[in-house]
Amino acid sequence: MSTANTATFTDYDRTRTSFFSALYRFQRVLPGLLAMLMISIFSNNLAGAPNPFTLENLFHWLDGVIGPVNHQPVFGILNSNFVWNPLLLGLIIGNAFGVPDTWKPGLSYIHMLMPLGIIMLAPHFMLWHATKLGVVPIAIIVASLFFTATATLLIAKWFKLDDRHGSIIAGGLSTGDPHVCAILMPLIKAKGGQVVNALVCVLVFGLVAMMALPYLGAWLDIPQSCFGLASVVGVGNGHQALSAAFARGYEAGRYALWYDIGRHVIMPAGFIYVFIVMFIRKLRYRNDPSVKATGHLNSFPLWLGVFIFFWILTTLHVFKEPAHHAIFNMVKWDFSLAASALGLSLSFKDIARPGLKGLAVTFVAGSLRIAVLLAALVVCIKTGLLPVAP
Amino acid sequence: MDRNRHTTDESGFDFMANSGQEEQDRDTLGIAFAVLIIAVLTVFQYWKLY
Repeated sequence: MSTANTATFTDYDRTRTSFFSALYRFQRVLPGLLAMLMISIFSNNLAGAPNPFTLENLFHWLDGVIGPVNHQPVFGILNSNFVWNPLLLGLIIGNAFGVPDTWKPGLSYIHMLMPLGIIMLAPHFMLWHATKLGVVPIAIIVASLFFTATATLLIAKWFKLDDRHGSIIAGGLSTGDPHVCAILMPLIKAKGGQVVNALVCVLVFGLVAMMALPYLGAWLDIPQSCFGLASVVGVGNGHQALSAAFARGYEAGRYALWYDIGRHVIMPAGFIYVFIVMFIRKLRYRNDPSVKATGHLNSFPLWLGVFIFFWILTTLHVFKEPAHHAIFNMVKWDFSLAASALGLSLSFKDIARPGLKGLAVTFVAGSLRIAVLLAALVVCIKTGLLPVAP
Repeated sequence: MDRNRHTTDESGFDFMANSGQEEQDRDTLGIAFAVLIIAVLTVFQYWKLY
């Protein structure tokens, strides 16, 4: 790399002419963009890229060989999706072959792709869809989300876990959506290793909860229709929750599919809540060296405001089908590219460095959530607040 | 301090670093592209182009 080009990247403010300067010169970013593109189209089945040799198809094939577990694909339970497939491939490539310096300017596009993808997610969360569930189930889902997020943040503090790591776990665990671990990364200013470590914590807890919850449900004699709600709110990712419900019974599984809409559409409230709590904390304890979450952010991020604006438009039915699906296809492209760069940026040591403390926090917080959730469900069933299907 | 070979090149450019004016510009680009894509896909549907 020439001295002139070095100055371009190390002295951005001096050479900046407009906000387009963050795109750098096309020749400089091309190798990195091509690397992200190749990893993406060999990871996921993306709109407009008809490549059959993808990691997604390999996992589907293996799912067919292994067979379903309680009606759910094994790799779905292990959280194979459009974010974590390219991350896994990038991680393997980066650790096996290294990351050439020529790729690095292009890989920096991850910082533009994250807000871009998160904003485009907004049309995916139609709050109106949840209203059909009824007041009490919605109240339980919402209460569980805020309780879990708050409890996880407090438990992480008691365990003296890095607050960035604790925030990512709080987001992933409370929403039951491991995507939130990645979504919170640019808001919390978490390290990539903390994000992937937190994802593993949420997934491992989800696997244990997935196996334990059906026994607890049977022991407490929770009817199958209500157990569907318990599994959606109390386990980990969507496939883990459905597997737990189908393990209890077919009706429980069908009700879990029904209640999952409620958990899904309020997911943004979970990551926005975790961010706001940690942002206010940072502003209050600015001089405390242990307060690292949200990093150098001094004002509410404009792009998060844009996301909320589009979320409001979504509730007003501005985005109809198939526009919503077309936008979501772009989200898949965006997150695939960004996750490729994130995977390339990490060594296995980065992921292991936060240690097992995060796992302990996740298990304590997750177990507490299950205990409170089951107690609340039993009370609601006994008092007739929660309707039991005949 | 040793450089992170995964993220930092020989000149010291770290592609995972994101702060200052550069961060603001990246955010602005993200917002601009997102608004553009959402608006185009939505308006095209309203115009029955797909």
